[in-house]
Amino acid sequence: MAPQKHVSDPGAGCRSSSGKTAGSHPNSGLMNAAKRPKLEQIQADHELFLQAFEKPTQIYRFLRTRNLMAPIFLHRTLTYMSHRNSRTNGKRKGFNVDDLLFKVDAKMEQDPHNLASHLQLTFTGFFHKIDKNCQNSENEENSVSLEVLLIKVCHKKRKDVSCPIKQVPTGKKQVPLNPDSSQMKAGLCPSIVVSSQEFEPSNSHMVKSYSLLFRVTCPAGREINGLSSRETNVIDEVPSRKKRYSSHRDDGETTFVAQMTVFDKNRRLQLLDGEYEVSMQEMEECPIGKKRATWETILDGKWVPPFDTFSHGPTLQFTLRWTGDSAERTTAPVARPLATRNSDTSGGDSHRPSAPKPPQAVAVKDPVSADMPVRREQVHIEPRQKLRVYYQFLYNNNTRQQTEARDDLHCPWCTLNCRRLYSLLKHLKLSHSRFIFNYVPHPKGARIDVSVNDCYDGSYVGNPQDIHCQPGFAFSRNGPVKRTSVSHVLVCRPKHPKPSLSEFLESEEGQLEQQRTYVSGHNRLYFHSDSCMPLRPQEMEVDSEDERDPDWLREKTTMQIEEFTDVNEGEKEVMKMWNLHVMKHGFIADNQMNQACMLFVEKCGSTIIEKNLCRNFLLHLVSMHDFGLVSTMTIDKAMALLRQGQQPGRNDSGAYDSPGQASRAAESVKTKA
Amino acid sequence: METYTSGTRLCPTKAPRSLMKWRKRVKSEYMRLRQLKRFRKAEEVKALFISNRQKIELRTDLLNEEWSKLRIQSIPFSTQSGSMPSKKQCSVEFGFPSFPNQAVAMRPLTTVAGIPFMYSWSPLQQNFMVEDETFLHNIPYMGDEVLEQDEAFLEELIDNYDGVHGDREGGFINDEIFKELVEALSQYSDQEEEEESTEEEEERGVRRSAGENTEENKAVSLAFKRKRRRVTEGSELPTSKKIPHDKIFTAIASMFPYKGTTEELKEKYKDLLEPPSSVKLPPLCTPNMDGPFAKSVQREQSLHSFHTLFCRRCFKYDCFLHPFHASPNVYKRKSKEIRMETEPCGIDCFLLQKGAKEFADQYMLRSQRSRRRRRQIRPSSSAGPAPSSSAEEGKDGDSDHETTSSSEGNSRCPTPTKLKQEDELVEDNEPPQQWSGADESLFRVLHGTYYNNFCSIARLIGTKTCKQVYEFAMKEVLIHRVPLEDAGISPQKKKRKHRFTVVLSAIVALDNSSNQVYNYQPCDHPEHPCDSSCPCVMTQNFCEKFCQCDHECQNRFPGCRCKTQCNTKQCPCYLAVRECDPDLCMTCGASDHWDSKQVSCKNCSIQRGLKKHLLLAPSDVAGWGTFIKEPVQKNEFISEYCGEIISQDEADRRGRIYDKYMSSFLFNLNNDFVVDATRKGNKIRFANHSVNPNCYAKVVMVNGDHRIGIFAKRAIQQGEELFFDYRYSQADALKYVGIEREVDVV
Repeated sequence: MAPQKHVSDPGAGCRSSSGKTAGSHPNSGLMNAAKRPKLEQIQADHELFLQAFEKPTQIYRFLRTRNLMAPIFLHRTLTYMSHRNSRTNGKRKGFNVDDLLFKVDAKMEQDPHNLASHLQLTFTGFFHKIDKNCQNSENEENSVSLEVLLIKVCHKKRKDVSCPIKQVPTGKKQVPLNPDSSQMKAGLCPSIVVSSQEFEPSNSHMVKSYSLLFRVTCPAGREINGLSSRETNVIDEVPSRKKRYSSHRDDGETTFVAQMTVFDKNRRLQLLDGEYEVSMQEMEECPIGKKRATWETILDGKWVPPFDTFSHGPTLQFTLRWTGDSAERTTAPVARPLATRNSDTSGGDSHRPSAPKPPQAVAVKDPVSADMPVRREQVHIEPRQKLRVYYQFLYNNNTRQQTEARDDLHCPWCTLNCRRLYSLLKHLKLSHSRFIFNYVPHPKGARIDVSVNDCYDGSYVGNPQDIHCQPGFAFSRNGPVKRTSVSHVLVCRPKHPKPSLSEFLESEEGQLEQQRTYVSGHNRLYFHSDSCMPLRPQEMEVDSEDERDPDWLREKTTMQIEEFTDVNEGEKEVMKMWNLHVMKHGFIADNQMNQACMLFVEKCGSTIIEKNLCRNFLLHLVSMHDFGLVSTMTIDKAMALLRQGQQPGRNDSGAYDSPGQASRAAESVKTKA
Repeated sequence: METYTSGTRLCPTKAPRSLMKWRKRVKSEYMRLRQLKRFRKAEEVKALFISNRQKIELRTDLLNEEWSKLRIQSIPFSTQSGSMPSKKQCSVEFGFPSFPNQAVAMRPLTTVAGIPFMYSWSPLQQNFMVEDETFLHNIPYMGDEVLEQDEAFLEELIDNYDGVHGDREGGFINDEIFKELVEALSQYSDQEEEEESTEEEEERGVRRSAGENTEENKAVSLAFKRKRRRVTEGSELPTSKKIPHDKIFTAIASMFPYKGTTEELKEKYKDLLEPPSSVKLPPLCTPNMDGPFAKSVQREQSLHSFHTLFCRRCFKYDCFLHPFHASPNVYKRKSKEIRMETEPCGIDCFLLQKGAKEFADQYMLRSQRSRRRRRQIRPSSSAGPAPSSSAEEGKDGDSDHETTSSSEGNSRCPTPTKLKQEDELVEDNEPPQQWSGADESLFRVLHGTYYNNFCSIARLIGTKTCKQVYEFAMKEVLIHRVPLEDAGISPQKKKRKHRFTVVLSAIVALDNSSNQVYNYQPCDHPEHPCDSSCPCVMTQNFCEKFCQCDHECQNRFPGCRCKTQCNTKQCPCYLAVRECDPDLCMTCGASDHWDSKQVSCKNCSIQRGLKKHLLLAPSDVAGWGTFIKEPVQKNEFISEYCGEIISQDEADRRGRIYDKYMSSFLFNLNNDFVVDATRKGNKIRFANHSVNPNCYAKVVMVNGDHRIGIFAKRAIQQGEELFFDYRYSQADALKYVGIEREVDVV
């Protein structure tokens, strides 16, 4: 693709002019207020204004720039901006995978046939920004003469010194000079058809490549800007049909030329259907065909030299179509100047009865399919009159206001050309939620009340995995590991109300629209409360605080009991064990106590026996009974259970008693027997 | 100055020269000792550090091991993979040619986003009552540069406290150093003046009598808990040292005039010399029942520890929440429990003996009589509630102590003698059947519970048959009749003072406004029913099951009989801002389903700890925030706001510091107490304030305790941050503390 084919970025296009406007609110506000007498008051007021609006504006300015450099999404994909989209999805409905094959097949077949179609060139105009002062107002001066030549470069034969070149004149037309897009009528554009025969390899010479040579001859007096008046014929054998047309300086004419390759030497078609703007050069400047084809990046509104020509010309604009029928003319689309050229597009107020098109179109347009979305949108198209948008900035608790008017439908913050009031409002509301926008109808257009949104919640509502990529946690070589669970809304069919401006009117009740987030769940990184370490996804399910008895508390209770000086060690042991038992199970009711005691024996019975605490435990039970918490039955049962566990060591009885005692107990057993 | 003169007056003859010498010695010894101590302290710290280090390493190893088992990928070192690896080299070049250049591959670490500031805190799921801090533990850190207003603030702050922790050690000598100093100095005196020791001797004899009280005083003040905590003075017993020369004390007194006169110092030294053995085995401590030295003691003594330390409200010993435990309400026990076993347990059963049944019946009567008597005795012995409330605290404690020891004395002393006597008696009759001290104590304990059911008692004692028990009981009745009845006096001891001060303050404050909420304390006024003099009635609390009053008390809350979820005002519990009592509300489900998290009653979530899973993350608003894991319905319980329970005074003191820090976790609980989640708490402490919150706080009476529940104000989605209005509460009981000011500033 040739570098000339200028695809204008929607955002970048109107940057330079409207960016300025966006920045000028405070100033103009100041001017409005300047009529009032007190300067200090004005300044204080201005301070307030800045206080309220400066920060969000800066943020949105920054976001705009970032979005220009690395777009996250395209505005044309938004439903309310669909008019920015030049393609339709109409074909998709009937799409079939096989169609792809058919299409390619057809193309393959057509390739030879391709030549059978005619090359139709419809010229929109010749743009050359010259000083307006010296521009004559005569009619004849508003057009230039254009000659199109088809150059065939043939294969070099042995005898030839250089490649033989054939120039076939295809036509000469008067092309309007600096036409106004809105004044143009579809049928009025001059058009040239290059017959398909010309591209056929019929001649003796094997044609290597075809290219178009545009030659524009301007009347004298045009060139004032110190263009060098030297005349040099680069191409010697220029066949001139008209004697007047030549590159002679005497005639007071200037000739600009440009060349475009139609088929390269591999017979690949270089010029597809589309709108073209060709940068022209004065004859003497450089040899044609040696144009530097480089890729340049548009950065930050700084114009790169190669593109510089596109802003002040000279350029030739035309629409190129390959048609089967040379007679077909009426469908030729109206080509309009690039959006970059005139940012004040809404100025045009002439009516075009036939073409129901928005005042602007993107530079490159598929002429065949462009009509469809346009027609659909026609339903809610704005009246085409000049629309004035008043922005009323409310601040200081809505007690102060400043008004700023704009004549276009660009967003004041990100300079996006919304092109419709509805789209503008929708865009403001959805993309600049740090503000509250309220639409008020106005006789001259619209008024938008802007105030700072106090309830703005900047929290992140996306997928946590996008912001906190926990390295190594999401994937594992050992197999799958858990990730933070989020629910994505894959398909959402919200009820779209019919677009109408009334939805932007200020509503009385604070409408709490239940907007469902598209990623719901835990959209943040959590931390452990004890260590402040990030919570790994596999740890989500465990509540670190679930335990009723944290370590430190267990230690604390043992320590606290240990501290008593007038409690003996047997009592302490039982108390500690019991406390830990209660803390672990979290008993809360009196009627749990019987059960709790039994459970205690079950769990700690062996320890009680081991540590020789049976009698102390019995004391504990009796004490509980004294408090009215357990029944004697429980005491009996618990002790019986304990004895059961004790059984093996019971006969020799030494398990829980001191040696002296043991012998005595043994004796007593003996007596019993 | 005065002390100095008094010191010199004692030995006027060799005052100037030898005193100077002694003073020099004192000084050098003192310096040496201090240095030694500092050194020892440093060593201690070092040792602690090393042991800590080891613990950490152990834990790290454990974690690493766990980590290696985890199914995770290793963390990649570098994120940019595309660039040349050779570029990421860090090299060191030398000017001298002999040194080779060194290069190592650079390993950039990915940046880690910072997290908000957090002071450390301990996790807690239940409130934890702490005492007032009269000492400031540390001077709050306000940043590196101390501003002028900060200094003023600190001065004011320190004025609020009795002192700052650690102040003591810097300026003057403590007891330990003092003792060491005297000992070190006495070496000098040993070699010098022996001749004067004789006159010292008699002086010592005179003064000895006066010096007993200091240690005791300390013990009293430390016996804040009914059971005494160990005194933390680790001074080892010196081996039979005679009191050193007077000159030493004179010199010390002149060096440290604020420590007292020569005599005082001397007394102090003598006190310090007293063997700490008295502390080791306090009179109240009954020997271990299971141990070899078990003695035969009265029932009350055996059960003393269990009775006094058990918290009837928490079911724990020495619980964290209720510092004042009521002792068991013995006389209230249900009579149906005391069932008489009429069936003989076997052929050897005592019931088959002649006259056994009659004895049992008679004893039953007697025990009932004794119980009635006890009722009459109690008010007089345990310093009745109304009159003692006016008494001073210190005095109260003192007298309490006195009564304890005296009652202790008379109940304890006779027992061993009688025991011996009785042992002989037993031996006379049946030589093989020996009753050990533990057996006897156990019998008395069980006898108080089972009365005449000797079969059961024998089964529980385990080593005796019921016949033996019966015979022993017969003897007991004969011998111990008198002390048994006396014993009714002994159990109620000290430590009622605090409760009464609390109640008193509540009563005083009651006049101000009627809609205030006061802390609940179980009432205990045995003789009269709960009328206008009952503390529960006065504080407008219901009597709970912990009160000593009758079950049919008018002031008792009846509980609910709901069959639904108890989450509407239809439920009387819900209406009274109480959680359903599992011992009162038997139909709603609060009293069963202990094992499951699904309870039909929705009004028992706090007590069961049915909190929601909360998560911690940096807040969208400020600092940290609390987030909820699963969605909740409106009015659902989310979490309890837990923390330390501190008095209002303490809250005022702490609040001053928190205000300065601009972060406060104080939450008013009721008129008496405040919950402070600064040091201990749970995750809900991180919930931020909002004027448009999604949660609300409610102080609920949960089984006698006020607790703060955080509930959902509306339906909350999963992952939402939780907010509640710090200022507002339904019961209006939450007077804001501190935090409000913070909000205003922010």
